[in-house]
Amino acid sequence: MTLDRVVWSMLQEALGVYRDSPRATAWLRSHVERYTEPVRIAVAGRSRIGKSTVVNALIGDEFTPQHSFVWYRGGAEPRAHVFSGPGRPHEVAIGRRGSRNHVETGQFDRSDRVVVDWPARTLRDVVLIDTPAEATPEQVLGDADALLYLMRHVQDEDLKFLQSANDHPIARTAAVHTVAVLARADEIGAGRIDALSSAKQIARRYRRDPAVQPLCQNVVSVAGLLAVAAKTLREDEFAALRTLSSLGREELEDHLLSADRFVGEQFPVVMEPAVRQALLERFGIFGVRLITALIRQGFDSQVKLTGQLVQRSGLGELRDSIAVHFSERREVLKARSALLALDVLFRMEPRQNSRKLMADLERVVASAHDFRELRLVAALQSGRTKLPADLQTEALRLVGAEGVAPSARLGFEYEAEPGELREALLDALLRWQAQALDVHASFDHRKAAQIVVRTCEGLLPQFS
Amino acid sequence: MSNVTVLPNCPIPSNKTGIAFEAFTQGGEHGTMSQVMAPPWLDVLDETIGACVTHRRPDLEARLREKRAQQLDPKLRVLVVGESKQGKSQLVNALLNAPVCAVGDDITTTVPTFVQHADTPSAALVRNASAGGSIFHTPTERIAVPIDQVTKQAAAQHVVRAEIGIPRALLDSGLVLIDTPGVGDTRSAHTASTFATLMQADAVLMVSDATGELTAAEMTLLKKVMEACPNVTVVVTKIDLVPSWRAVVERNRALLARAGVRAKLIPVSSALRLRAAKTGDQRLNAESGFPELVSCVQSDIVASADLLARRAVAVVASSAITQLVTPLREELTAHDSSRTVATISTLQEAQRRVDELRRRSARWQNVLNDEMADLISDVEYDLRDRTRKILREVDKTYDEADPAIGWDKFEQWLEDNLNEAATTNFAWLMERAEWVAAKVARNFPVYREDLIPGSVLPDDLLEPASKLEKPKIEPFSVPQKLFTGLRGSYGGVLMFGLVTSLAGMPLINVISLGAGALFGGKSILDESDQRLKRRQAAAKAAAQRHVDDFFMKFSKDVRDSGRHIQRSLRNHFSTLAEELQETLLESARSAKRAVQDDQTERERRLREGRKELDRLVTLYKRVQALGGPAMELTA
Repeated sequence: MTLDRVVWSMLQEALGVYRDSPRATAWLRSHVERYTEPVRIAVAGRSRIGKSTVVNALIGDEFTPQHSFVWYRGGAEPRAHVFSGPGRPHEVAIGRRGSRNHVETGQFDRSDRVVVDWPARTLRDVVLIDTPAEATPEQVLGDADALLYLMRHVQDEDLKFLQSANDHPIARTAAVHTVAVLARADEIGAGRIDALSSAKQIARRYRRDPAVQPLCQNVVSVAGLLAVAAKTLREDEFAALRTLSSLGREELEDHLLSADRFVGEQFPVVMEPAVRQALLERFGIFGVRLITALIRQGFDSQVKLTGQLVQRSGLGELRDSIAVHFSERREVLKARSALLALDVLFRMEPRQNSRKLMADLERVVASAHDFRELRLVAALQSGRTKLPADLQTEALRLVGAEGVAPSARLGFEYEAEPGELREALLDALLRWQAQALDVHASFDHRKAAQIVVRTCEGLLPQFS
Repeated sequence: MSNVTVLPNCPIPSNKTGIAFEAFTQGGEHGTMSQVMAPPWLDVLDETIGACVTHRRPDLEARLREKRAQQLDPKLRVLVVGESKQGKSQLVNALLNAPVCAVGDDITTTVPTFVQHADTPSAALVRNASAGGSIFHTPTERIAVPIDQVTKQAAAQHVVRAEIGIPRALLDSGLVLIDTPGVGDTRSAHTASTFATLMQADAVLMVSDATGELTAAEMTLLKKVMEACPNVTVVVTKIDLVPSWRAVVERNRALLARAGVRAKLIPVSSALRLRAAKTGDQRLNAESGFPELVSCVQSDIVASADLLARRAVAVVASSAITQLVTPLREELTAHDSSRTVATISTLQEAQRRVDELRRRSARWQNVLNDEMADLISDVEYDLRDRTRKILREVDKTYDEADPAIGWDKFEQWLEDNLNEAATTNFAWLMERAEWVAAKVARNFPVYREDLIPGSVLPDDLLEPASKLEKPKIEPFSVPQKLFTGLRGSYGGVLMFGLVTSLAGMPLINVISLGAGALFGGKSILDESDQRLKRRQAAAKAAAQRHVDDFFMKFSKDVRDSGRHIQRSLRNHFSTLAEELQETLLESARSAKRAVQDDQTERERRLREGRKELDRLVTLYKRVQALGGPAMELTA
């Protein structure tokens, strides 16, 4: 039985055991419901780090920030509900404020959460949860299957948050749920035109940092404002930016030296200060610099520009990361959330007849191959298990550290033929079988190899 | 500073010792002048060091001495601190208009970099000569390196700091700018070296960029910095990047005001400044905010070095004094609680035990009285029982035996029996008396070795009773027998003589004579029988009397001994009880005395402590008067 089915049947069984407890039943029902939903991703970080901006960039639409948890779900048509205290949610209207969408929560000044149904491609696979800055790790992770943690540079405070996110024994068993984001990548390079590439380098360094690596699956850098701009660049804005880029490079640079200069009185082109102010607010001084430079380089249509911005802002990488680490791992993430929920339940309301379920839970956590793979990933990345460098890279890839799709596991950059994949898989299987039987290797080495072999064997039926 | 020799105890001319400096530059007699005009903060600092010595706090003393040496050093160290990636190194570069500190997008500065004046640009790395030593108190060595190689080589192991010298007017007056690694970075060694450097700072530029207001972590850092060095200026960098930097600056001001931090806040843009330097654009330079920062450094740090020194001394000295005062104050309050509580509880315990003894001594007395009464009645009954048995035996014997025969033997036997009865009885008495003593001892409040008395026997025990007086035994002598026989035979002779005379026989004939003889014999028999009876009765009476006498005498003796035993037991135990009570009372009294002594002792110490506290508080006030922030400290 796959992990997915095992956990599902455990949830059903638990519903039977706890049918006389309304609280437990409600808890289990909510998790049964959650089990079939898309992956819930909480976006968290310190205040003013750009959580809402990143959420907006991912959705591709701008929403005004709220002071409570805001859930963005996929839906056929835009709708918004406010959950405030016990009782049914209230439907509220979604209006516009300037260029942004605004959920009219005016009458509910203290809402528990706002749920927005929004037709967006991204939201087909995931539910995004924008969290308030003051939310505790427990609040943030209570409803979420995965975490997108935003920070500038990795500071102790951030590590503390991530550590507490991994604090539960089951959570530790399956540390699969975090992607760290160096938000405000544009500011990392002090607004220089190459800021984004250096931000990418820094992200790469953190990916290898032993303090950071065990706490998250990936570190990506994103320039939030630019990412939003990429998705929501309007005609008039594009026109204004084109006008700007028509200026001489030197001249424009002088006026782009500081934000004050850009919106100042003396400006060589006829452009309302209000327009310039709006551009600055939307894209930041770095955004204006980069976009005008890009237009000058020849990305002079909106479509070309958008493509460039998505790529350069790091939004593309972030999306890929979400796809590889969250959407593709939906089963494991959901199983993990459900197992955590069951564990909480068994702890809070221990029953005589829930013993079997508790044993099952322990067995699943200890033996499910998906979790074993994840533990191996963690062990290899933290250095607890050591393999020779080339083997380590391959083992990590095969057990799914870079994505769980067969081609990703087998290290194909392109769409490979099934026959090709099969050949590569058999090759890997034989090699790792030899590793698993290597009497000269350490115990850890052989154990890791056994897990890799099991993974390869599991992949085999897909190609026969 | 390895390259500056400072004699810790000798004030040397410095721009911090404001008057001395002037005197030195005018007079040139530096040895005499500077010794005459010691700055006021030096006295206070020395006095505080003295207080630290008195209170045996070598740690504080060492810290203050370090500060003293550092304050006497003519250099002015301005530390640039802040979280990582706030633009600290760039700020230093922009201040000096020279790329002295390497800047980069990732963590760049890994060791504190000291930038000071030199006639020609030079750079050196200072590293621990011995590998593996701690960063403090280990010999260091300097290695000259090219300026542009500083950052690259500073990443090597054991490098403690980098030193760069460049010719700049700003640094001319002895100003040293210290660029530090970012605080709060994941690599804690960086943070540690920043804090180590903080102790040497005369003034601090706290850097926070304008992309966000001061975070909670930054506020914590700022407060920590203020504790070590109060001369803090907050510099908001990167204002060129942020359109809304004015709002950020306002929010920061509000945050500082709310936290009660009195620090100047200057917004700057290093990028604009460097650009202005390149193009020589004065307007841009003004926009960068650096003129204000430079003038602030000039006026608030370089020009008012004396004030800075006073403030810095005020802060470290007051923190030291506060540390001295806290345990002192605690000691003063703890005196009430800990020791006095102990003595008072001893006193209460002693009094409780005295009461307990009193209550329980009533019990042992009762036990003694009851037991002795029981004992005496029991012993008396036993004695009576024994004498009765003897009397019964005597009665039985003299119902048959003739006391005249073997009286001596009888007397012996009676004496033996009575003796035995007396001995047994008395032995029993003694046994019971010991038992009673044990029982009383059991009921005695405390256990002691000598609780049971060695001997309770009366000394003059058992005077022998009066001799058994021999009953009067009338012996039946032959003449008496004859006489009695004759008297009896007379009647027989006469009676039978008369009867036989009727038969014509003479009055005296054979028959009458025979009858007379018969009668006479019977009379003798009767008489002797009666006499025996009388003798027996007399013997019995004598024995009875003797036994009665014995009983009277002996029961009296037994009673006496009983009472004697009782009395001696009572004496014994009451002596013990008195002794015990005296001991307890003594301990209670000594406890009471201890409490009183304690009080006087405490008062004395309290007085001394108060005096010391007052002294420290006065010192503290003087320290405060140096120009530090007003803090409250009362005795």
